[in-house]
Amino acid sequence: MHASARRGLVAAGLLAPAALVFALLFVWPQLGLFLQSMPAGAPLAQYERFLGDSYYLGVLGNSLLLGLCVTLVTLVLGFPLAFLLARAETRWAGLLLLLTSFPLWVSAVVRSFAWMVLFFRNGVASRLLQSTGLVESNFQLIGTFAGVVIALAQVLLPIMIVTLYAVIRGIDRDLEHAAMSLGASPVVALWLVTIRLARGGILAGSLLVFSLSVSAFATPSLVGGARAHFMAVTIYEQTLELLDWPFAAAIAAILLAISISVALTYGRLLGDAKEQAR
Amino acid sequence: MISLRSPFGWVLRLMAVLTFIYLLGPLFVIVAASFSDTGYLAFPPQGFSLRWYRQALGDVRYLNGFFVSLRLAGTVAVLSLVIGTAAAVALTRFRFPGRALLEAIFLSPLVLPGLVLAVALTLFYAAHPVAPPGLPRLIISHLLVGVPLVLRVMLPVLKRVDPALEEAAQNLGAPPLQAFFLVTLPALKPGLFAAAALAFIFSFDEVEMALFLGSARDAPLTVVLYGAAQMQMDPTVAAVSAMLILLALILMVAQQAYANR
Repeated sequence: MHASARRGLVAAGLLAPAALVFALLFVWPQLGLFLQSMPAGAPLAQYERFLGDSYYLGVLGNSLLLGLCVTLVTLVLGFPLAFLLARAETRWAGLLLLLTSFPLWVSAVVRSFAWMVLFFRNGVASRLLQSTGLVESNFQLIGTFAGVVIALAQVLLPIMIVTLYAVIRGIDRDLEHAAMSLGASPVVALWLVTIRLARGGILAGSLLVFSLSVSAFATPSLVGGARAHFMAVTIYEQTLELLDWPFAAAIAAILLAISISVALTYGRLLGDAKEQAR
Repeated sequence: MISLRSPFGWVLRLMAVLTFIYLLGPLFVIVAASFSDTGYLAFPPQGFSLRWYRQALGDVRYLNGFFVSLRLAGTVAVLSLVIGTAAAVALTRFRFPGRALLEAIFLSPLVLPGLVLAVALTLFYAAHPVAPPGLPRLIISHLLVGVPLVLRVMLPVLKRVDPALEEAAQNLGAPPLQAFFLVTLPALKPGLFAAAALAFIFSFDEVEMALFLGSARDAPLTVVLYGAAQMQMDPTVAAVSAMLILLALILMVAQQAYANR
């Protein structure tokens, strides 16, 4: 009894610093955020202001659309690369995987700046588009929605690839072989076997990338320029430039609600997938 | 398995190569442009010059930012490692009710947007100034993500190390603390290194909390770069970015070399 009480004390002591950080810097501030977004007298006024204004609804729509586009681009580009890396038998595969995840070691600010170099009026990407004659001669990709999608998809692509790679590695390649020896073409085998079995990972990667794109700040604000109408950029302006904290808190709470519902959906879908597998 | 030599395999390969270029090309572009001998950012670079590097290294804002970032990331890595590992030991070596729930709650800051955390902390510090503004405030705020990062690495590592080894040492007469330091800790070393590296990189690269909570005097490098990139297309920013890419490369190689030892 005496020993178990001491063990309990040791466990509490080990947990205390982490619990303090968490309670002081997470629970309290997040509760404060909700409280501040609902001032006494008119608790829902800030939310009504956001949801009743077509400009702010447009910002929300823009961010959701950005999340959708970035998720699609990273999925379409990430799957072939993740598949090849997972199935490659050369000793180069490890090095290539390492290089794929290298951008994660570099700040998003630096990676976004690289796209600004390509996207400004005289940048390679903008000049290439100008030379096709499809756009005006002073066109630049900076400040366009397409530019933000291209840049943010590159920033988040390593996360998608690493997630997909782990899942594809776990799928027995003999299953693809079996499907093909039964007469399936490679495309059909990939579709019926690998992609089906990788569903959980595809979903996990997609939800993660979606959640990160909807709330992304550095890339949309740098590549999107002064007229970047995205959720995170709007919250930044309201907090640090316009100092309208109750409104900033309300928009942040809406963004938080989106992130939490994505995380919960992810958990539920994963649970369903496990049940189906049984 | 699907033959990579079939036509379909070649299509997959072509897509993979293009994706690879898309992924790493921009980093290459920025390094190349930083050597250009032009007064504006040029890619492909024209001529070869190191003058943007001289300019960057002579600029107090960048130098100061770099040292602020080093202090910030170093402190956050050490504190996160100590706090996170202690919590991970408690969560894996002790049985108590609500353990799984506590683990999930501790990891949850990783799935929430950094910007929302930053706004909530800004409002919180305005009402309750628990830490002096500037670097101290930023350090304790970064712990909110640094500690979960360490936990995420250390929990599986600790679950793999057999507690029976530590018990054996205790049965042979070693006090519990000594048993932990002599038996368990050495087995954790690669995990500890990876966890610290992760927390360091996060803190060094993070920009949202740094923008909201840092002071102008103690601005970390990411904040200085963010401001400079917004202003104009300055080749000095490319030179600083190129040096940061090199630093990341060195860190990644060091981490790999350590892990494969």
